[in-house]
Amino acid sequence: MDLMEKLTILTNSAKYDASCTSSGVNRPGKTVAAGCCHSFSADGRCISLLKVLMTNYCIYDCKYCVNRSSNECRRTAFTPEELAELTMEFYRRNYIEGLFLSSGVIRSPDYTMEQMIQVLHLLRHRHDFRGYIHAKTIPGSSPELVRRLGLLADRISVNVELPSEQSLNRLAPNKKREAIFSPMKQICAETEQNRQELVIYKKAPRFAPAGQSTQMIIGASPETDYQIITLAEAMYGKYALKRVFYSAYIPAVEDSLLPALDAKPPLLREHRLYQADWLMRQYGFKSEEILSHDTPNFNPYLDPKCNWAINNMQEFPVDVNTAELETLLRVPGIGPTSARRIVIARRNGRLGLAELKRIGVVLKRAQYFIQTSDRTPSARPDKEMTVRALIDQNVYSFGMEQLSLFQDAPGPMPLPTSRDVKSITEAVEETVLCLASSL
Amino acid sequence: MSGFKPLTVPADVIYTYDGSFDGFLCCVFESVYTGELPFSIRREEDSPMTLYDVRSIVTDSAKAERVRASIPLKISERALELVITVFCSCLAEKELRILEFLLRAYREGGKLCFKLGDAAVAPLLSAEKHLLREAHHLKGFIRFADVGGALVAAITPKNYVLPFISQHFVLRYSNEQFMIFDKTNKSALVYQNGRAEILQIDHVAFPEISESEARYQALWKQFYNTVSIESRENPRCRMTHMPKRYWENMLEVSGLVHPAAERILPGGQIVSVL
Ligand code: SF4
Repeated sequence: MDLMEKLTILTNSAKYDASCTSSGVNRPGKTVAAGCCHSFSADGRCISLLKVLMTNYCIYDCKYCVNRSSNECRRTAFTPEELAELTMEFYRRNYIEGLFLSSGVIRSPDYTMEQMIQVLHLLRHRHDFRGYIHAKTIPGSSPELVRRLGLLADRISVNVELPSEQSLNRLAPNKKREAIFSPMKQICAETEQNRQELVIYKKAPRFAPAGQSTQMIIGASPETDYQIITLAEAMYGKYALKRVFYSAYIPAVEDSLLPALDAKPPLLREHRLYQADWLMRQYGFKSEEILSHDTPNFNPYLDPKCNWAINNMQEFPVDVNTAELETLLRVPGIGPTSARRIVIARRNGRLGLAELKRIGVVLKRAQYFIQTSDRTPSARPDKEMTVRALIDQNVYSFGMEQLSLFQDAPGPMPLPTSRDVKSITEAVEETVLCLASSL
Repeated sequence: MSGFKPLTVPADVIYTYDGSFDGFLCCVFESVYTGELPFSIRREEDSPMTLYDVRSIVTDSAKAERVRASIPLKISERALELVITVFCSCLAEKELRILEFLLRAYREGGKLCFKLGDAAVAPLLSAEKHLLREAHHLKGFIRFADVGGALVAAITPKNYVLPFISQHFVLRYSNEQFMIFDKTNKSALVYQNGRAEILQIDHVAFPEISESEARYQALWKQFYNTVSIESRENPRCRMTHMPKRYWENMLEVSGLVHPAAERILPGGQIVSVL
């Protein structure tokens, strides 16, 4: 089979992995710019790495996966030389920042890992490749191989795959919970040990300097959003993960245990999860502040931060001229950049609405929640107006989509469909009325 | 520049200069020295309107150096950095905007740079941001072709970004030879034998690409088209992240700007089919 065909097959079978893993770290002598996107594909996702599988042969039979052994499809494998050279030539032409390598399980987990290590070894030592490498460990492979992989890659990851053990047993019967969490623990420990070695001996080989990440599939199993973000929060704390990626399940194979083939991927839900994840990592939110046992699923119309604000009106208005950075961050319409700029700018004079606007605050949203040198909002802001300003217009571009396929908890009303309304403006009006009355 | 009292009054005069940064600094000198705020500052080749007096400012490196030295001294290092970046940007009337900023900063000191909401500072900061964002974009979006072992690329940026991306590519390709040709500003960043320099060049004729180069281009296009997930297609999102003005120089999408304008033959040459 020629290289073009192999590339096509092995890209196709790798692409459902959602992560845009461009975040890098500066290795000595390596020039990985943080967050450098080299292109964007037609689905709007960042391309920074050559994302392929080593092979799509697989001895496992995970129900949700196109590469599962019981699925009939064309199979192939790169040779390590082939893939190393392709990566290098793409990198030279500035097409990519590096390689994102994962694989189906061929022969055995250890054999597969050895093939992957071979690619990384050729790249680093024969081609003197200084770009970024993200490699996925194969569940069930030996700790020694995980270690060798980590010494060649910038980032390694172990996928949790599904948000609970029950779902894992049901949908990925060959993967045991233990086979996922023990390498995660190992990587966390190796990283810590490596940090200490580096203190003593500067030239010690570095172990996955960009840390570890993980990924889970959303919408193939019945967990609530609350369960998912609590799991993510726990993993951030316990295994020092750099990122958790959420990947909307795209039906690729027919199975009675899975959503039907024509089900639309839960993109809005995935979007909300990333927003919540961001709030936990960057804004200091706790998972219980975002969702709870009583409201276990996201509000489709409001992003999680606005949703929190609307439900915690007693915390506002915030005085932009005196409030702490953390408090500013909680205001809808003020992001990390504008919050930091506010703190700098107010040292040199009090801030009014005009200054805030020039700083980049989204006043349309923020105005109901802030107090400035020239304006104090009324004690009880008009609910309807506030809601109208906060509604996430993106909701409508995601089209009709159920937030959770297994939603039995009483959630917000479903989105207005194209049959109910004539235009987005009308849809917004409907939503405003419905939300304002339920607050 | 001790001894100057930088207070100026608007004057019906237009300064013209040679377009260099030193030339511009001499305009600043002139304004501070005469105490007048010109109506506009233009490059000599952009012929100004005639209603105003036109004064041609001669570039004098000694004067320029005095102004340059005065900025970190009387204002701050940050002010000099901002001034240089904005001068490379495509901000309309950038010379006058920078002059106005400097005149105030000489009086108010370095803290003016941090009045982020100030009407004289905000446009400079956003011009700086625009340039830095474009430079950042290009670090990813530039496409090189291998021509006989050397890497060559062409760009059409809005700002004069070469000085801002040079270090990035020198580090990335320290063992290679490469050239980035900026068609907009008619200049090229050339790196060979471990040395980088920016040259003024009107035109660069790129040689025909080899068979192996064509193969990698085809492989890349194939990867690009395959990696997108159909059920998630979102052209608007792609456009926000990767504005269309970059597409003409990116081989995986250039065909979408001028559909079917060119096609790679198996032999490797690009032929126009229009
Ligand atoms: S082990 Fe990986 S490639 Fe194989 S079926 Fe499971 S998810 Fe797919």
